[in-house]
Amino acid sequence: MTPHNSQFQSDRGPQDFLSSKGILVGAAALMAYGLTRRSKTSLALATAGGLLALNASRSGNNSQTAHTRATFLVNASPENAYQMWRDFSNLARFMRHVKSVEVLDDTHSEWVVLGPMDREIRWYAEITEDVKNERISWRSRPDSLVQTSGSVEFRPHRAGRGTYISATVRYTPGGSLSKTIATMLGKHPQFMVREDLRRFKALLEAGETPTTLGQTHGPRGIHGSVEQVLFRETGNLADPQAAPSYSKTA
Amino acid sequence: MKAVCWMGKENMQVHNVPDPTILNPRDAIIRITSTCICGSDLHLYDGLVPTMEQGDIMGHEFMGEVVEVGPGISRDKLKIGDRVVVPFTIACGNCPSCQDKLWSCCDNSNPNAWIAEKMMGYSPSGLFGYTHMMGGYAGGQAQFARVPFADIGPIKIPDGIPDEKVVFLSDIFPTGYMGAENCNIRPGDTIALWGCGPVGQFAIRSCFMLGAGRVIAIDRVPERLEMARAAGAETLNFDEVDVLEALREMTGNQGPDACMDVVGMEASGHGIVYAMDKAKQMMRTQMDRPVVLRQAIIACKKGGTVSVPGVYASFIDKVPFGAYMNKGLTMKTGQTHMMRYMQPLLERIQKGDIDPSFVISHVLPIDQAPQAYKTFRDKGERCTKVVLKPWETVAAA
Repeated sequence: MTPHNSQFQSDRGPQDFLSSKGILVGAAALMAYGLTRRSKTSLALATAGGLLALNASRSGNNSQTAHTRATFLVNASPENAYQMWRDFSNLARFMRHVKSVEVLDDTHSEWVVLGPMDREIRWYAEITEDVKNERISWRSRPDSLVQTSGSVEFRPHRAGRGTYISATVRYTPGGSLSKTIATMLGKHPQFMVREDLRRFKALLEAGETPTTLGQTHGPRGIHGSVEQVLFRETGNLADPQAAPSYSKTA
Repeated sequence: MKAVCWMGKENMQVHNVPDPTILNPRDAIIRITSTCICGSDLHLYDGLVPTMEQGDIMGHEFMGEVVEVGPGISRDKLKIGDRVVVPFTIACGNCPSCQDKLWSCCDNSNPNAWIAEKMMGYSPSGLFGYTHMMGGYAGGQAQFARVPFADIGPIKIPDGIPDEKVVFLSDIFPTGYMGAENCNIRPGDTIALWGCGPVGQFAIRSCFMLGAGRVIAIDRVPERLEMARAAGAETLNFDEVDVLEALREMTGNQGPDACMDVVGMEASGHGIVYAMDKAKQMMRTQMDRPVVLRQAIIACKKGGTVSVPGVYASFIDKVPFGAYMNKGLTMKTGQTHMMRYMQPLLERIQKGDIDPSFVISHVLPIDQAPQAYKTFRDKGERCTKVVLKPWETVAAA
């Protein structure tokens, strides 16, 4: 097990330069907007823009294969955690970008991921390793448009305070479609895996994932709306199984 | 429904917004009967805590009647028609932190935990009506509110006790009590306490409940010092005396056994360091003004305890850490672990040990909230605590 969380292998083509340039333009716009308004929020916006630009220019040498890992201690037994994960149809309940996973047979599944502008991207995956209550590994089938693999490990806390759950995910894009998904998922792979695992923990411990998406609020204006995006709150989805329209006041 | 919305620095507005709806199985919707403005709301009013969003609904001290319950809540825990006080911290009840009864540090209630992790390492629980770093949940200065994990937090209140006696179980009474508990009081101890606002008032009374022999209360607002004396405290006005010298004299050169900072990030003081703090805060190079914290550390006796219920948001400068280390002090702090205290303190109210309504100075309809924020911040009209009535349109008092 490597102690570091994220590593990038350099494999950089002209398109990557364009995409990081795109980020730079966006970041510059954000900075400009922030600096033209005189308030604390605007200052924060300008700073965020600057940070984005810095990130984009720094990630210049990065590439495309994203390999990332996160670990959470969860107050649940390895058995319960394993069972929840082993049923791959549950993955869409806590993986933010995954719209659905259909279980085809004991080892095969079909994944649907929402890409940019809600475009659906599909691939087939197979389970390559399955050690009950300890470890599950999977990878996309070799003929898939997206090359991805992942694994999850369950290790009991020595003093019985729950289970350490470690997830590792790797994306290696091949064709142009894969490039799209790599841009989307690969921009912050560490963030993505960490937040997905955090939601898995919440699902196991609390039975639901916390959300404010869809809550009532006053007029947001431009500032409030921009901050919603900056704070990534548009991604705070409730567990789709738990969030139907059962409210009478809706 | 009507709701008090944060629209920017010193800009609260009452807007008509959509009613809240249930979003998760363990949610409930409360029809609010009483809701308060808290001193910590003033930090948001003054625009000093980052990650507020225009349009946020304020308020974290509220009570009311359950009007809707999500399917994930068993009916013996909570049902429609129950009268409840809602704690300001949101807790799932089953994560390692909740299992350790560190309710205000719940792992699962902050959907924006990543922001807090960037600043604090690990995220505390979500809070109502506070910053988005703390979850960004819509608050309770409104006619209705959505309460997540409603089978854990809200405490049922029997009929026959008026709102005014129990609404402060939502924050300030437990917060003052935990501040006192964090002083490690032994019978007869002397406690020095900075800040005689509403939490300070409850902290003074809690210190005596826990066996303190003397409480020395420090502030400069006459009516608040008066209220402290009514509870049996000795008082110091920091505009009139040198607090450190006075405490030295009053404790025979020993120092108070424990010092409590019930002020937090917007402390007032005197002198050049205070002026620098204020300037740095305006320049945003320092979010917090730790005037009281510094004084508390210097004043505290050797081996004593510094308890900090006052709210801090980020970084502070020039903390006398040499004094802290060499005197062997202990510091205890935290947002209040509400669920530890609500039931026992409700019982104390029922027994008549304390009537928390003494702290109320203003009862107003919700439409007057924007003005009330200003009055409370400026401590005008002898304002100590504002209770808002969401369904009234004419001033009640």
